[in-house]
Amino acid sequence: MMKLEFPMEISGIFARWVRKLVRRPTNLTFSMIQPLIWFLLFTQAFQAVANIPFFKQYTGTDSYLTFFSAAVIVQTVLSSALQSGLGMVDDVESGYLDKMRVTPVRRASILMGKVFSDGFRIVLQVGIIIILGYVLGVNIATGLPGIGLILVLAMFFGIAWSGISTFVALATKNSESTLVISIMFVFPMLFLSTAVMPKQLLAPWVQTFASYNPVSYVADAVRSLIISGYDWTLIGQAFLMIFVVGVITLSATTAMFRRALAK
Amino acid sequence: MSSIITVDNLVKIYNPDIRAVDGISFAVDKGEIFGFLGPNGAGKSTAIKVLTTLLKKTSGDVKVKGFDLESDAREIRRIIGYASQEVGVDTDLTGMENIYLQCRFHHIPKDKARIKATELVKMVGLTDAANRRAGTYSGGMKRRLDLATALVSDPEILFLDEPTTGLDPQSRRAIWDYIRELNNKGTTIFLTTQYMEEADQLAHRLCIIDNGKIVAEGEPAKLKAQIGADLIKFRVIGDEDPGVLKNAIDVVSSIVGVKDVRDCSKGGADCVEGVALYSENGSNLVPLIVRALDSAHLEIVNLTLSKPSLDDVFIKFTGKQLRTESVKMPAKVGYRTRRR
Repeated sequence: MMKLEFPMEISGIFARWVRKLVRRPTNLTFSMIQPLIWFLLFTQAFQAVANIPFFKQYTGTDSYLTFFSAAVIVQTVLSSALQSGLGMVDDVESGYLDKMRVTPVRRASILMGKVFSDGFRIVLQVGIIIILGYVLGVNIATGLPGIGLILVLAMFFGIAWSGISTFVALATKNSESTLVISIMFVFPMLFLSTAVMPKQLLAPWVQTFASYNPVSYVADAVRSLIISGYDWTLIGQAFLMIFVVGVITLSATTAMFRRALAK
Repeated sequence: MSSIITVDNLVKIYNPDIRAVDGISFAVDKGEIFGFLGPNGAGKSTAIKVLTTLLKKTSGDVKVKGFDLESDAREIRRIIGYASQEVGVDTDLTGMENIYLQCRFHHIPKDKARIKATELVKMVGLTDAANRRAGTYSGGMKRRLDLATALVSDPEILFLDEPTTGLDPQSRRAIWDYIRELNNKGTTIFLTTQYMEEADQLAHRLCIIDNGKIVAEGEPAKLKAQIGADLIKFRVIGDEDPGVLKNAIDVVSSIVGVKDVRDCSKGGADCVEGVALYSENGSNLVPLIVRALDSAHLEIVNLTLSKPSLDDVFIKFTGKQLRTESVKMPAKVGYRTRRR
């Protein structure tokens, strides 16, 4: 009985967030608008990027659309992750967090149920992007198993990156600050990575930054699955990076959650 | 007496130096309705949040059914229910889902939870709205739903933080009925309120709290009895004339049982003109006053008798009116029946 309590709590809280997501479709589309615009506009406007000498040699494809689809997937994950803290701020403001805290529910369940639901949302959104990419003409070399692997990468990376936004949310307890601060972890991190340009074409200092940027590793792994095939070194590195980021952000979030509660 | 909550010298200081609760001690008996009455910012919510394990106390000794606030927090959470001032319902979920989710937090198995949720929506009169999102509910409905979610575990102690603040009189009475009903079934209830009438109607015993300190404690009737006397106010024709007024004062002063006869025009918290006096048993005295004034050829134009209220208790112990903030909050004005 005691052992069942923990999964019961987590699934209850997970189901709550999924329900809220379904009932407020704007929350689902909100963070997808920008990636969608990118996907539709950039790939048309910047088609010529693929004509840059050595593009195919660097990337393995002569289609900027195919190359860029990995960037859009990564961008979707990043923007969606920045949204994660908002629900937490709402719960603090509405008194719902207190409502949960006076019940025997474990503190860990409150956080884990939320984190899993964030992972679920991100998988859903990335799934939509992949379908859209297919419609636009992106071919994924590794087929369905590859798509599955992309979704797994997206989910774990999303959960790890969500920690940033949840941390900021708990620290500021304010929606605007959460959005403004979290957004700094989207575009700079995206442009200072190998997600939008092949590494060889980046400015030297950006190359240096990109080689330490976790976003690069995830983008490279996703792109290899789209363009060429299973490059287990890249995939392994990506998971390692996700793990490192996850440990840092989620332990910081847990600590901040404890601090926010221990008033 | 079997106390279910004992609080000894509880202090809560918020950073940097706000003494929200400043050394309060009291005990709540099993099965009673215990009230905390005080104005906004008196420290009521802070106290209730400490007792429900939401806030850490700064110092003091608190036991809830013998459990320690910190080391046995989870045990305490199993036996209490809490409805906050903020009304913690999820507006994206339906009423039913809100209750059902709360059941999961209390580890109530699925089938039992469904029965419980159905039972509770019925109890708070939300059956028809049970499958609508709580976001579509009125303020009163949200409160009732919140109350229902606080009851899923059949709590031994129910904490209610200003359960009717901002509600219309009808919704307020509905909540009062539920509170009484629960108490009749044996639930101990700890409630805070800024409404005299609410404390008077519900609480078996109450503490009047102001600036983080308890200023008076006891049964509402006994607290009122401490004021001791009924207030009688009257005017006579021509009392603008100091001579006439003095005459009237002399006449009533000679009646046995009359105390503290005052000329209202000289100031006082409760009248502005005419004569005011106190008496232990006002209703018996009124005929005597009327007759005496009549014999002195003084004609009464207006006489009122009022029983002491908790307002008077509050004024007596704190030197101020309880609801001075009512001017700024028009939504709450006009519900309380003023007796003086």
